[in-house]
Amino acid sequence: MKFLSAILFVFTLFLTNGESEFRESFSTETYNDILDKAPEYYLLEWKAGTKLSKRKAGLFIKIDSFDDQEVAVMVNGNQDPVLYASDVSTPVCADGECKLMHIRLYWTLLGEYAGFDTYPKLPLTKHDHDEFRKEDYEKLHKLLADDKSILKRRRIDELVEEPVMRNVNGVDALSGATVAEVKESVVSGALYSCYVAWHLTHGTIRDEIKTHTLSTLNANMLTDMLYSQNTDYQLFALEKMDSSQFIEHHSQTVRIFKTAVPLVRSIIAKEMPEKFRNRPELQRPFWEAFPEIDIGSRSLLLRHLESAPPYVGDIVSAQLGSMTKNQIAVFLEFLSPKKHTPELLKNLHSFADSENEAYSYLVKNYLEEHVP
Amino acid sequence: MYPFQFRKLFIICTIFYGCMAHCQDMLIEAESFDNPGGWVIDPQFEQQMGSPYLLAHGMGRPVENAKTKIKFSTDGMYHIWVRTKNWVPGNWEAPGRFQLKVNGTTVGKTLGLRSGWGWEYVDSVSVTSKQIDLELVDLTGFNGRVDAIYFSTEKKEPPTSKGKLTEWRKTIKAEPNVPPRIESYDLVVVGGGIAGCAASIAAAEQGLSVALIHDRPFLGGNASEEIRVHTLGIYGNFERILKKLDTEHYPNGSADAKLDQKKRDDNVKSYENIALFLNHRAYDAKAEDNTIQYVDARHTSTGERIRFIAPRFVDSTGDGWIGYWAGAEFSYGRESVDTYGEDWEEHGELWSPKEPDNAVMGSSVLWGSKETDKGHTFPEVPWAMPVARQYAKVAGEWQWEFSRPDLNQIDDAEEIRDHMLRAIYGSFYNAKQDSTNANRKLEWVSYLVGKRESRRLVGDHIFTFNDAKEGRKFPDGVVIETRDVDIHYQTVLEDEENPDFISEALFYKTPEYYIPYRSLYSRNISNLFMAGRNFSCSHAGLGGPRVMRTTGQMGAAVGLAAALCKKYNVGPREIYTGYLNEYLALIEEQKFEKIPETKR
Repeated sequence: MKFLSAILFVFTLFLTNGESEFRESFSTETYNDILDKAPEYYLLEWKAGTKLSKRKAGLFIKIDSFDDQEVAVMVNGNQDPVLYASDVSTPVCADGECKLMHIRLYWTLLGEYAGFDTYPKLPLTKHDHDEFRKEDYEKLHKLLADDKSILKRRRIDELVEEPVMRNVNGVDALSGATVAEVKESVVSGALYSCYVAWHLTHGTIRDEIKTHTLSTLNANMLTDMLYSQNTDYQLFALEKMDSSQFIEHHSQTVRIFKTAVPLVRSIIAKEMPEKFRNRPELQRPFWEAFPEIDIGSRSLLLRHLESAPPYVGDIVSAQLGSMTKNQIAVFLEFLSPKKHTPELLKNLHSFADSENEAYSYLVKNYLEEHVP
Repeated sequence: MYPFQFRKLFIICTIFYGCMAHCQDMLIEAESFDNPGGWVIDPQFEQQMGSPYLLAHGMGRPVENAKTKIKFSTDGMYHIWVRTKNWVPGNWEAPGRFQLKVNGTTVGKTLGLRSGWGWEYVDSVSVTSKQIDLELVDLTGFNGRVDAIYFSTEKKEPPTSKGKLTEWRKTIKAEPNVPPRIESYDLVVVGGGIAGCAASIAAAEQGLSVALIHDRPFLGGNASEEIRVHTLGIYGNFERILKKLDTEHYPNGSADAKLDQKKRDDNVKSYENIALFLNHRAYDAKAEDNTIQYVDARHTSTGERIRFIAPRFVDSTGDGWIGYWAGAEFSYGRESVDTYGEDWEEHGELWSPKEPDNAVMGSSVLWGSKETDKGHTFPEVPWAMPVARQYAKVAGEWQWEFSRPDLNQIDDAEEIRDHMLRAIYGSFYNAKQDSTNANRKLEWVSYLVGKRESRRLVGDHIFTFNDAKEGRKFPDGVVIETRDVDIHYQTVLEDEENPDFISEALFYKTPEYYIPYRSLYSRNISNLFMAGRNFSCSHAGLGGPRVMRTTGQMGAAVGLAAALCKKYNVGPREIYTGYLNEYLALIEEQKFEKIPETKR
């Protein structure tokens, strides 16, 4: 039904020569081929002085009944790809009425949503033709940044219907929670625009962009990704790096370990000892970061106790207060009298004697059993 | 007056145990109190902390006293200890505080203060009447807990460590290893979730005598009115049976679960050849030559023990306990992406990790509140705030889920449940600070952990994500599903600002897929079926068929297989190798209700 509406709308535009008028008006609004400031809504860091130029990438988004929309690659002075961009115009249809939505979308090198720009004379509008306010654009930005949005798995007609709670055995009906989640995530009065924008951004173009990037990937791009704050870039770079690159970028890897999200940390925590197997001094900053990292990453680090450098006992024993009960248990199980150093024993006693530590009894028991 | 009915109490008086000559002592299991008042019996963590216990689950309002009478054989001065724990140790008043009353008088100090399960000394009392009234007085309504109360004329604290405590308990109860009651059946099904119920019905309909052992008063497991998760998935070959057991599609946590509860309980009880052992928790299984000889179970309040003997057993415990005790191979955690080639590039590490790890989908504790026509206060819960932080909500759904790499969903289930209780109480407290919620009252909080994933017993076939993704056909594909493969992860992994008790789901759209019968019996234990989330699968393979209509299909499938096993006196594997056609024909045949000869 919506599809038919779109066709009808475009057909009408042709009859009235509306599309050519629109195209003219839109082209005067489109951004030029140089990007020298951050997009208005943008997820990545934008370094001062960055200047990106537009190049053809041979990528297109297909929109039913409309021309293919070109997706260009934005390259830096070294001609390395940095972003992908597309000036998109697409019909949005609701209740038999269609209108065009104009937006400039950006993708990361891995095909993830990076941000958008709007055209001052062609603002996004809601179903009732009200223009988007700033907070609406911000909400759209947040929605597009969510690659697992509830919009992903639902047809648009499912999202506008009232939920059916009972008598639906065998049917995966929409629950009240789902409806609430949709309401919370989309711009009020602009469900259709949000839906279309999300599916454009997260459609098959994602994989095509990534494939294009992989075909042009070089060491500079990989390094830039490693030094980015973007989680996907960090994960991608860590995955591609070999041991020598880990050593070359040791400081940055430590920095990421301290500041990245737990998912990224978990990769480093799992792989760090292997990557720095013969360089115990390079492992030290990761163990010293113990109090700064999340519980899960600490547990992953503790899995390496047996193969860890000897200094680790001293470091971890000073952090018992930040460990969970099971983590303390794992550490105590790893210990044996031959691993006792004066520093370690001092830390154990200090923790065991503390009145404010909930799990001091574990260490007390250990000391009673193993330290005469 | 309370209607004291003297149930069989485990009030054991031993002489000379751990005492000097003339010493008397007595152990009272809290779950055996004559009248638990507002306290509830919580048997979920028996395997970890040693016993069912009484829990003051008042959702912030102190519950009614639990009461019992105790008879002493000898008067004298007795020292009293209570086995308890402070479930949130920290720099605040312990949330689960309580006191003990003897003959109506409060004895000793406030209890529930020690970190970790163990004994707290109460005081000494003089017993002169050979019978006393004992009461547990909840002070907070926030989940105080009592495992046991120990009286001794000698001031010597009982052991705390798990191993020593178990031995001490056995000795003081003078409990022989073999349960006093022994029962024999054609099939013993352990776990009365949807899978266990379906297995029991399917086998019973084929004429087998079935024992169904379940540790709660209600059937259904995660679908029961005590946990309230709706059933998802399709009926496959077993619509007739599963419609006796499943739920409507109410929101998770809805009180509508009660309607389906009655249907389910009535249906299972309608089979004369299903011997239903509600409130019995299995605690051991013994295999010889890789064949299970028996399963032992204990009543969750009276402590009465029964040994169940059968030629074949079904493990529908969810945690794979029967297989675990019997020595069945099992797995836990996430396989590496290369183990079974379960990659989904779009979600990478979140879906299947490069290196194997112990991450699993978490457990939920559902809850809800309701608007009323008058104001309701909710107390401050400082001990909950480190978990809830600023999160403010008035109800929970499936996303309220907790898993953390340092916690095992089985060994640490109590900590996981308690973490969720902190999340719930703290989030509700935050919501109550908003004046629009002034009339809102906390209506229901489950105290049972609704688990998604734990041990997975290994069968002849390990069902993987690829089996689902490719819709692989098997000659023995007895379970059919169309539901997306749906794997959860904790959102805190992507942003540390997120609450650590909220999850996100990744959905992989699949064609129709099939689970082979070979995933429903143990590879190395010759007479063990499994149905439910502990069936043979990989972590990613569990993502689709872990929902309850699918696990119900598994149950029905093994119930029918058990009937053929009996007919030919063979093990589960032989049904695949020797009787597959007959098995598939039986599955077809059972789809429609038969009219009994007498009614034709």
